[in-house]
Amino acid sequence: APLRSGGAAHHRAPFSAGWLPALQLVRRGSKAVTRHWKAMHFQRQKLMAVTEYVAPRPAVPPRCLPPVEEQPEEDNGYARLLRRQVREAFRDNRMIAVCQYNSMPGEDMVLMRHYLRKHNIEVKFVLNEIVRPVLSESKYKNLLPLFVARNILLVSPETKAKEMLRVLRGVPQINLLGACIDDTILSRQGVESFAKLPSLEAAQGQALGALGLLPSQTSSLLQRCSAHLTALLDQHIRQLQDRETESPAEPSPAPQSSGAH
Amino acid sequence: PTGPGGLTVPRAGLKKFQQPPDYSGIVLPERTKLKFLEKVPAVPNVKREPRQLRDIRGPSQEATDFTQGQFGILALGGGYLHWGHLEMIRLTIGRCMNPKSTFAIWRVPAPFKPLTRKSLGHRMGGGKGPIDRWVTPVKSGRLLLELGGRCEFEEVKPFLAQVAKKLPFPAVPVSRESLSLMRKELEEKRLNNQNPWTFERVVTGNMLGMRKYLSPYDLRLQGRYWGKFFLKHRV
Repeated sequence: APLRSGGAAHHRAPFSAGWLPALQLVRRGSKAVTRHWKAMHFQRQKLMAVTEYVAPRPAVPPRCLPPVEEQPEEDNGYARLLRRQVREAFRDNRMIAVCQYNSMPGEDMVLMRHYLRKHNIEVKFVLNEIVRPVLSESKYKNLLPLFVARNILLVSPETKAKEMLRVLRGVPQINLLGACIDDTILSRQGVESFAKLPSLEAAQGQALGALGLLPSQTSSLLQRCSAHLTALLDQHIRQLQDRETESPAEPSPAPQSSGAH
Repeated sequence: PTGPGGLTVPRAGLKKFQQPPDYSGIVLPERTKLKFLEKVPAVPNVKREPRQLRDIRGPSQEATDFTQGQFGILALGGGYLHWGHLEMIRLTIGRCMNPKSTFAIWRVPAPFKPLTRKSLGHRMGGGKGPIDRWVTPVKSGRLLLELGGRCEFEEVKPFLAQVAKKLPFPAVPVSRESLSLMRKELEEKRLNNQNPWTFERVVTGNMLGMRKYLSPYDLRLQGRYWGKFFLKHRV
């Protein structure tokens, strides 16, 4: 095979990147670019094996570390709107009841909403992932344990607990978990006892009556002595009159005693 | 989420709506479909050219980046595209894309390189054969065509992949982001390679006299190319 001497004719720069071999075999085997995968010289194969990529291995594998939870960005305008609505509901309504919601037939749902609407109670469906951050930042932190599974909120500007309980008793799929009435957190038993209480007007009337009881007794207390004396004298007069009727001849000293007063 | 004391049925949370993509800045050219490329150039070269397989070897220097479009097909190996391939691409893309909302442009010229073939059954000798066909040489890392317009990568990927499978060299559909991601990953691999011995280091230093078994082209190719093949896993 013809040989070609390489590098002798042209200028060779000293200490350039490597050197060209002195002898190059021109007609040996196939060309450099082939359709098939040209077999590599074994030395070249070894070089390729030695210079392979080795990935970095951290000292602690990432699966042993606690998982990095990416915080979802809450730039969602819809989420902001829902949160604002929840905040307004908590601000504007006096009674907020949290109930567990199990799926119920549509018509039953509509009927229940209708009955509650008659008592000015509105049914609101809320998502836990929206309500929980709102509550944790507001003063209703103790309501957080209630918002776990599917919930609905029954909100009302008035506190008609008795009617609400009556409606809910007829619907087995909705269970009352707790309520916040006038910024007071009540449990289920608390709501039931709240419902048994008399209404505010009756309670006010009772309180007024209890307060007015003592002043109403004051005048009778003050007049008690004189009334007692008057009663005694009347009795005495009656006794004397009785004695007069027995002995009408005796002059009665009653007008003298009555004139002495 | 499990509540205190019991199982709760997991349910879906708030639906997060995605903003629809903004296509306001897109301008479609007049002819949105791929141009017809001739099989033979208008003024064919009479003189037969030597083979020059170096137009297949190594990384591509032209058409490596996107110009107008958003998506394209990247060649991951070297090869020749002849008229049949180009017609297949043109017709498939023309069939699958919507000419009113998307446009496509060639990043590869019409065949200009003549290939000769000797007639079958003759012995060696007798001169160079006549011109048999005309081809376009393509090197690795070159974009073949670009697609753009009011479309997403997920819509375009299926038929681009279908076309890429039929090409004579390995090819993948890419978008601008995926191409830059590919390049960034390569850079990261190069930087965090734990192997102290790299091909580049061995070749430039001629360690162990390795250059006896390597070509002078390996200084440039750095072990990532072998013939017309592009070795993807090498760094």
